[in-house]
Amino acid sequence: MKAVVKTNFRRKKAIQGILSVIPTIIVLLFIRFYPIGEAIYRSFTNWNGLYQNDWVGFQNYIDIFTNSPFWTLLRNSFVLLISVPLQIFIGLLVAVLLYEEVAGWKFFRAIVYVPQIISAVIIGYLFRIAFGLDGPINLVLRKIGLGIMSIEWLGNSASALFVLVFCLTWFSIGWQAIIILGGMTRISPSILESANLDGANFWQRTFLVIVPIILRTIEYGAIMSIVWTFTGTFAFIYSITYGGPGYETSTIDYMIYTKFYQASANYGFATGLAVILLIIILILTFAEMKFTNRVSDWE
Amino acid sequence: MSGKTKGRTTKILIFIVLAILAISNLYPLLFVFLNSLKNRPDYLTNPFSLPNLNQLAWGNYATMISQFQILKLFKNTLIISVLTIFFLLTFGIVASYAFSKLKFIGKEVIYFLIISSMFVPVQVTIIPIYMLFSKIHLVNTYWSVVITYLGMFLSETILLMTATFRGIPDAIIEAAELDGAGYFDILRYVIVPMGRPAIVLCIIYYFIVTWNDLFTPLILLTDMDSRTVMVALASLISRYSGDPTFQFAGLFLAAIPAILVYVIFQKYIIKGIGEGSTR
Repeated sequence: MKAVVKTNFRRKKAIQGILSVIPTIIVLLFIRFYPIGEAIYRSFTNWNGLYQNDWVGFQNYIDIFTNSPFWTLLRNSFVLLISVPLQIFIGLLVAVLLYEEVAGWKFFRAIVYVPQIISAVIIGYLFRIAFGLDGPINLVLRKIGLGIMSIEWLGNSASALFVLVFCLTWFSIGWQAIIILGGMTRISPSILESANLDGANFWQRTFLVIVPIILRTIEYGAIMSIVWTFTGTFAFIYSITYGGPGYETSTIDYMIYTKFYQASANYGFATGLAVILLIIILILTFAEMKFTNRVSDWE
Repeated sequence: MSGKTKGRTTKILIFIVLAILAISNLYPLLFVFLNSLKNRPDYLTNPFSLPNLNQLAWGNYATMISQFQILKLFKNTLIISVLTIFFLLTFGIVASYAFSKLKFIGKEVIYFLIISSMFVPVQVTIIPIYMLFSKIHLVNTYWSVVITYLGMFLSETILLMTATFRGIPDAIIEAAELDGAGYFDILRYVIVPMGRPAIVLCIIYYFIVTWNDLFTPLILLTDMDSRTVMVALASLISRYSGDPTFQFAGLFLAAIPAILVYVIFQKYIIKGIGEGSTR
C-alpha cells in the first residue's frame, strides 16, 4: 500500500516537472532553435525574403570570403579586441584599489559600474559628439597647442577604430572591476598579509600574489568580453560611426543589420554571415569550457 | 583590516585615484545635463561652460515632451520591459523549480540544451524571427520584441535561478508537502520567498537591459507609434544637423529610469555581477 502511494507521488512529481519546463521549451523551440536551423538552411539559398529561394550551395560563403568586405569586418573585430586586455588591466587595478576599502569605497564601487547602466545609444552619441571635428576633444587639443592633433577622428579608419576601442574600454572597465573584486573575496587575507610582511610592493602584490589566485576569474572575464566584442557592440558602432567610413568600422554583426536593410536584400548572404558569427561564438564558448575543465582538474 | 595596506598616505593616494575615476564616470552625465540647459549658440561657443542661470533652456525639455513625445516612448518601453520581466519570471521560476527540485525523464538533456542556447547571439536568429513574425503579423507589436527577449534571456534566467533554488533545503519542501501543500503552494510559500535574491536580481537586471537595448526593437519596431525610447533617440541623433542641446535633453531623460533603478538596487546588482552570474 505504502509503495503504491510512493510511486504515485513520484509520477505526479515527474508530470509536474515536465509541465513546468514546457513553456520554456516552446519559446526556445520557436525563437531559438527553429531560427538557427532556418538561418543555416537559408544560407545555402539566394532567399530574398519573398518568392526567390533557390538552392545555391556554398555560393553565399564563396561570395562572403572572396567578394565582400568580410576580411575588413574580421579585421575590425580583432582591432576592437584590443579593448579586452586594456579593460582587464585597468579593471584589475581598480579592483585592487577598491579592495583596500578606503573611506567611501562602497560609493566608489557603485560609481565604477555606472557606465554599464547607461544605454550604448547615449554613450555612443556622446563619444561621437566628443570626437566630432569641432567637438570638445578637438577644442581642448587646439587650446593646449596640439591643434595638429585635432583631426577628423571619425573620418578615417585608424582613428575611428581608436575611438571605438576607447569607448568600449571605458564602458567595460567597471564590469571587469566588479567581476575581479568578486573573485578577490575568495583570497584569504593572511596571504596578502604575509606578502606585505615580505615587503612586496603594490605591483608585486597585484601581479605575483593576487593575479595567480584569481586567474580563473580573469579568464572568465576575458572570454565573456571577447564574445561580447563580437556580438554586443552593435549599438556603439551604430551611434558612433554607422560602421563607416565605408565598411571601415563595421563588424560581422553590424553587417548583418546593414544587409538586412539594403534595398535589394540578399538574406541568403546575410544568414551566411550569421552562420559564420555563430561558428566563431561556438569556438569561443568551447574554449571557455575547456579552460573551466582544465582549472577544475587542478583544484 | 588585516592583509590590507595600512599607511595613511597610501590610503589618501588610493582615495584620490578612485575619486578621479568616479569623476570620469560621472562627468559625461553631468556634461549632458548642463548642456541640455543651454541654447545652441551657447553650447557651440563653449561646451564646458556652466549654463546661464538667468535663462536656463528648459524649453529643450518642453519640446522633448510635447513634440518628440518622449513620454509615449517611455510608455512603449515600459510596457515591453514589464511584459518581458513578467514572462521571464513566470516561465523561469517554474522551469528552475523543476530543474532544481523535481525528477523527470530527460531532465539533464533538456537543461543542457536550454543553457547551451544561451550563447547564440540574437543577430544569428533575427532575420528568420523577423520573417516569421511578419508572416503572423506580429512585427510592430510589443509582443514581437517581448517574445524575442524571452528567447534571448530565458536560458540565462534559468541558469541563475536554478543555481539559487538548489540551495533551498529539500526538508522545507517535504515539510510543506506533509502539510498538504500543492505545486503552486510550494512555489508561492517556499520557492519564491527563499529564491528572492535571484528573482530580484532578474527583475532589476533585465529592466536595465531591456530599457537600454537598441538592436532588437530597431529591427522589429519600425512604426513611429510602437518604437521604444532608444530606437527613437537613435533616429533623432542620426540627423547630424539636429540641435545638440535639444538632443542632450532627450538623452538625459532617457538615461534616468535605468539609473534610478540602479541607484535604488545597486547592492543586488554588484553582488550578482561579482558572483559572475550575468553579462
